[in-house]
Amino acid sequence: MRIYEDLRTVQRRVGVVQAVVALAVALLVVYFWHLQVIRGKYFRELAENNRIRAVAIPAPRGPLFDRKGRILAENRSSFNVVVTTERKDDLGGALQRLSRLIAFDPAEVRERLNTQGPRFRSVVVKADASDQDVATIEARRLEEPEASVDVVPLRSYPLGMGLAHSLGYVGEISDRQVESGAFPGLEPGSTVGQAGVELQYNNELMGRDGLRRIVVNSRGVEVTEAQRVAPVDGPPATLTIDLDLQAAVMEAMAGKSGSVVALDPSNGEVLAYLSTPAFDPNSFSAGIKSAEWADLLKDPEKPLLNRPIQGGYAPGSTFKILDALAALQERVITPQTRFHCPGYLSVYNTVFRCHKESGHGTVDMTQAIALSCNVYFYNVGMRLEIERLSKYAHMLGLAQLTGIDLPHEIPGVFQDPEWKMRTQKARWFPAETVSVAIGQAMSVTPLQLLRVAAAVANGGRLVTPHLTREVGGRTVAAPAPRDLGFRPDVIAAVRDAMISVVNEGTGQRAKLEGVLVAGKTGSAQVVTHARLETNKSAREYQPHGWFLCFAPADHPKLAMVVMVEHGTAGGTSAAPVAGQILARYFGVPAIGPGMNPPPDNPPVEPSPQPLRAQGAHEAPAVAQQD
Amino acid sequence: MAIDRRLLFNIDWGFLAAALILLGIGVATILSATFAGRNHGLEIKQLYAIALGLVGMLVIVSLDYRRLVDRAPVLYLAALAVLVYVLVLGPRIANTRRWFMGPGGFQVQPSEFAKLVAALLVAKLFAEAKKETLGLFDILVPGAAVGVLVVLIAAEPDLGTAFTLVPLFLTVGFLAGLRVRAILGVFLVMLMVGSLGWMFVLKDYQKSRIYTFLDPNLDPRGAGYQKIQSEIAVGSGGVVGKGYKNGTQAQLGYLPARHTDFIFSVLAEENGFVGVVAVLGLYMFILWRAFETAQMARDRVGAFLAAGIAAIFSFQVVYNVAMVAGLVPVKGLPLPLMSYGGSSVLSSLFAVGLILNVRMRRFAN
Repeated sequence: MRIYEDLRTVQRRVGVVQAVVALAVALLVVYFWHLQVIRGKYFRELAENNRIRAVAIPAPRGPLFDRKGRILAENRSSFNVVVTTERKDDLGGALQRLSRLIAFDPAEVRERLNTQGPRFRSVVVKADASDQDVATIEARRLEEPEASVDVVPLRSYPLGMGLAHSLGYVGEISDRQVESGAFPGLEPGSTVGQAGVELQYNNELMGRDGLRRIVVNSRGVEVTEAQRVAPVDGPPATLTIDLDLQAAVMEAMAGKSGSVVALDPSNGEVLAYLSTPAFDPNSFSAGIKSAEWADLLKDPEKPLLNRPIQGGYAPGSTFKILDALAALQERVITPQTRFHCPGYLSVYNTVFRCHKESGHGTVDMTQAIALSCNVYFYNVGMRLEIERLSKYAHMLGLAQLTGIDLPHEIPGVFQDPEWKMRTQKARWFPAETVSVAIGQAMSVTPLQLLRVAAAVANGGRLVTPHLTREVGGRTVAAPAPRDLGFRPDVIAAVRDAMISVVNEGTGQRAKLEGVLVAGKTGSAQVVTHARLETNKSAREYQPHGWFLCFAPADHPKLAMVVMVEHGTAGGTSAAPVAGQILARYFGVPAIGPGMNPPPDNPPVEPSPQPLRAQGAHEAPAVAQQD
Repeated sequence: MAIDRRLLFNIDWGFLAAALILLGIGVATILSATFAGRNHGLEIKQLYAIALGLVGMLVIVSLDYRRLVDRAPVLYLAALAVLVYVLVLGPRIANTRRWFMGPGGFQVQPSEFAKLVAALLVAKLFAEAKKETLGLFDILVPGAAVGVLVVLIAAEPDLGTAFTLVPLFLTVGFLAGLRVRAILGVFLVMLMVGSLGWMFVLKDYQKSRIYTFLDPNLDPRGAGYQKIQSEIAVGSGGVVGKGYKNGTQAQLGYLPARHTDFIFSVLAEENGFVGVVAVLGLYMFILWRAFETAQMARDRVGAFLAAGIAAIFSFQVVYNVAMVAGLVPVKGLPLPLMSYGGSSVLSSLFAVGLILNVRMRRFAN
């Protein structure tokens, strides 16, 4: 007997559930219609963006050549090991594994990632990797798909430290530079000039990066290339540097600290430019290690300082050139005007001493310059007075930017009544004028002094020093030398005096055979005389030695400033350096005392009198030594 | 074991054919989703699972469903034992304990089978309550029985499968005469348990999934990633799709779990709206027939069993497809018949067997 249950309620309720399910499926179909048909185009774009990435192909920077077409900066192909992934979480493991294959510091990479923010796509784990590293990575393409090797142009400077401060260096654009808009339109990751000519002409030298559109998978690893826009190479640039002269400068300054700049006095083209000690610009190209950078910053010798345009020094006796120019032009003296030097001058209740204790006797202007007599120029300074000294100092470009095509130049300081009132709210004392006359109470750069020498050399015109002749086929226009209005007889008298500095005076070590050299020595004291007495042999207490010169004196091809830090007197430290450089440049022997004279012409002249400082309690100016 | 020859005439061949077609589409889609990567060859494994599942299905079809339902308590205890075993001693895989390690590295996911055991038990318990209407008190025993399973599975944790038991319980309860008021009561209890669970049980990753479902841009590369990428895959498929094996989202690896839980996303990307409608049509046909079977069943047990299984199936299909479209939070819930996975395929085919079983015996004694 078969019992049929009453299933009507159950069946009815099944119908309800069935209807609910059918409704749900129908709603899903409607939603898929919305998603796929109505919004299909939108999602197709998203899917495209998902798989296409734009990757920059770095353009090689324009090479830099010297005035004769020899390489100063070029690009070499280097290999970067790069890790690319879509998700930062995947990175830790990949970095750990890679660090076992090739040597790098995963912690340092992670640190860089943290500063990189959410824009992360790929990170360079090892820049400028070795061939062996590259082979290791390439052999493990399958195991480590995130790791790849990029070939990138790397900036290289064959001369290394020799042109570090003029050419500068390149490096990755910093976050601060991106934010501040220092390089408009550039993305993070771009390599830009960070100093020197590289920074000054960055836009011109950079060229235009190319672009690769690549198809990537969900891990961000490239599958194929969809499009390629080739990069436009940066155009070459020709500098005014003369590599031969630069090499001579580097050799002559080996082991010394200081500056040498040489330029063509007729147009201001810089022929040689050295600041030493320096850094190796090559070490910045692939990203400098933070420890190396910290060492450069901490170094007491300040290798990062661009001395010719950032070092502020007292010009010392080299300022006497300016005294003479001003006094002759203002007719307060003639070349024949004589003053008596008893070894000191007592004015305004102060005793100002000459560096020669016994005095130079009665000297005219030429002798005063040749022997660097302080007393003579104390008198000249008093006749000129501070207003006219200040006027000529500014006219000749002291305490002002020279306008050289290098970034980060400093102006320096020239103390005069206006300056003193503005900064110290104090009146000017006439005694201070006496200090100014021998190049104290001011802070000028070597390049500023060089312009003064160049003005004497070229007949009284102020040049604008510049390092670049041509960028990408376009001539870089430098301002023409500006005539300062000196009478020809003024210039001739000062030039003659400078010739006798080298021929008979304090600068004899710069003397050449057959080429007439004009010069002026100087020394800039760095501590008070009393302090120097406490430790006479301490290097850091020794004054800086100056030598300003041009040659050949009658039709100058070259004007040069040499400054040897803590070299003591300019005549014994800077003048021989200049002599060595000039001898190489003109291809003639240097015949100054102690300058490896030719065997058939031994020196008969004794060296200039040893220059000794006098104990001077009142005025620091007495510490002048030449 | 002899099958009454008359029964063969009553087999729902259309239902079986639709299930086999979906299995076939599943295998083809798995092939497309994995042929390029390190998972290639999975479609072969899936075919083995299907073969094994068909054998199991034949066994189930040959046994009268009433005898199976009678054994439900034993099966239930066995399921409890395995679930507890897995929870305590099972291998830890991706921070979960869902798997039972068979000999030779053979992995089984017991929760997939526990679903069917629950369907048998619920059918038995509700069929024994011979009342026209049921109140909350009447469902205490089946509620507790299912509740234990839910807790054990949720603890693995496998929230998706655990949650599948809720529609099963509510559907069968509803058919058995549970008042609508009582259903609301059940919802209230679940809400309380749910909020307690949110506070004390849910892991952080689960919470973050729910948060990011509500706002995927909170974490577009993390927990919101699956939803966004799946939505892009589906939407970019358009009307006719990008073509078989040509879905960029699937082939370039943007889609997570593309051969398992997100298999429908691959289908939608490569075959477009046309493919979606065809496959959803097949599912709708199967579900319709399954509920029809419940209506045709000769007794309450058969009706409850068929409807319970249909409810499980419906929930999984609707939830999984809605998840792929980005409508509901991502839960580890496979699409029956199509997703890759041996346990899922076996359990789906056993379920098909149970439905066939009830339907073919609708006239017999």
